[in-house]
Amino acid sequence: MSDDLAIEVKDLVRVFESRKGFFYREKTRTEALKGVQLVVRRGTIFGLLGPNGAGKTTLTKILSTLLLPTSGTVRILDHEVVEDAHWLRSRIGLVLGGERGLYNRINAKENLRYFADLYGIPPSERDHRIAEVLERVDLVWAADRRVEEYSRGMKQKLHIARGILHRPEILFLDEPTIGLDPKSARETRKLIRSLVADGVTIFLTTHYMFEAEELCPRVAVLSKGRIVANDTIAGLRSRVGGDRTLEVEAYGFEDREVDRLRGLPGISKVVGEDFGPLMRLTMRDRTGETTPDQIRDLLVGHPELSVRERRTSLEDVYLDLVEEEAR
Amino acid sequence: MTLATSPDASRARATGASLRLAILLFVADPQWLVPSTIAPIVFGLVSFELFRGEGPYFLTYAILGAGMMSMWGQTLYGSGWATGQDRQLGTLEPTIQAPTPYLYVVLGRIIWNVIAGLFGGVIVYLVVVIAAGGPPRLPNPLLFVVLFVFVMVTLASVGVVFAAAFVYSRYAGFIQNVGEFAFYIGTGCMFPVILLPFWTNPIALLFPPTWALDALRYVSIPGYSGFGWGWEWDLVGALAVTGVYAAIAGTVFSRVERHVLETGNLSDY
Repeated sequence: MSDDLAIEVKDLVRVFESRKGFFYREKTRTEALKGVQLVVRRGTIFGLLGPNGAGKTTLTKILSTLLLPTSGTVRILDHEVVEDAHWLRSRIGLVLGGERGLYNRINAKENLRYFADLYGIPPSERDHRIAEVLERVDLVWAADRRVEEYSRGMKQKLHIARGILHRPEILFLDEPTIGLDPKSARETRKLIRSLVADGVTIFLTTHYMFEAEELCPRVAVLSKGRIVANDTIAGLRSRVGGDRTLEVEAYGFEDREVDRLRGLPGISKVVGEDFGPLMRLTMRDRTGETTPDQIRDLLVGHPELSVRERRTSLEDVYLDLVEEEAR
Repeated sequence: MTLATSPDASRARATGASLRLAILLFVADPQWLVPSTIAPIVFGLVSFELFRGEGPYFLTYAILGAGMMSMWGQTLYGSGWATGQDRQLGTLEPTIQAPTPYLYVVLGRIIWNVIAGLFGGVIVYLVVVIAAGGPPRLPNPLLFVVLFVFVMVTLASVGVVFAAAFVYSRYAGFIQNVGEFAFYIGTGCMFPVILLPFWTNPIALLFPPTWALDALRYVSIPGYSGFGWGWEWDLVGALAVTGVYAAIAGTVFSRVERHVLETGNLSDY
């Protein structure tokens, strides 16, 4: 494993077996991860995208020593994730977030103190460090309030505070902004950026494409347990057919019109979607040669025809990749 | 650079932190006042009325009966349930994710449950003494106190096994509830095991509290015959069985931890 790698995953497979039915005799087998390969460089933010049930949380839990792999190798900070789990646990942080996972009847300070002791943070540094992380997540004002009085956003901040308490070298964040209001989500993203500036490696799973686009220089898309793409945002855009997207809306299109659009220079993909009586055709333009006027000329005679051009978003890329995998 | 120290260095602190957390959670939740304070008062009064006039040592019978009734649940079931509560709160996952082995966290809770159980025992003692207008006649008060504490330790040793069961599966509560009264009667918390059918005795001897309770009755009730081998052998037996429980606890915990990492059911409740 190269020195600049924080995470290296090779041929990772995870199978869940469960029993159901009368006397639990019916055995079900679910392959949650099917030969995952990825590397994450130290001091970077790596984004993992994927639909519900793709295996993101399973992968995060394996990387953070909370789940054993069925096969394959996982090395974190050049240590094997199963054999060296206890060593690794002092060097990684995990934020699963949500309403659960905190002692609600005691205050934030006491929650953090408990986990500081479990991590063996020296008593001489403990209280200072607790104050520092509370300051960092902007919870000093509520530090002495019981967690049961916290809003969802405050709990999320406390989860993050706990995750960074022992100054981990790698922080795993599983959908850290889910359910947060826009202000809290923005503050969380700011915090994530500041952690990277401090040299922390971030492994982030998210559903929000703009978040990945804003934070992650490199993202992987996980679909049905497989990494279907792993590249820079620009690399992913070019992979799905270009940086430019054209959207055409009208009250229905004929097949021959769609075929003609497909034949325009640089157009790599045309996908149709219905919006009530309206139909939208989304096209990826690989070369930037096709102009909106050319499209209007081709589709002459359509009342209420609208043609827009925009930059291909990560969401477009993501949807293309996930749909491709589904087919 | 991480602030966390090695797991070896943080074990004692983890146990201390777990004990501290157990106290904070106890104080923060008024529902625990019922089993820890009000129940021992009720048990003490009921036991006093039940045993009143039953020979010269009726006060000792009353204290032992009510004391065990209030302590066994607090110590044994409290120890198991602490892990069940971690499952319910979703705190089991981050606790297991910490570098310290979970067994040391469980130990802290068990220490607290022993203290809370003793607190219940003291309340029972005081209630019975106040109701009777004086203390019971104890042939050997010092040995009584030592064995009383030892009974708590044996209850706690079984509590470790329940704690492991709660880490293993969210269904441990079901097993614990089903076995509650069988264990209570089977180990002699309510009345001496020797009064039960003979075939139950070998099973009862597999549990450390059976031995310790028999020893406690020997030293506090003159004429008590129990298993017939004297309190000294009871004590040896209790130490041996507790030792076996303690020895297997570490192995069980590391295996249970591996099992839950295989099944991935840590966050289920």
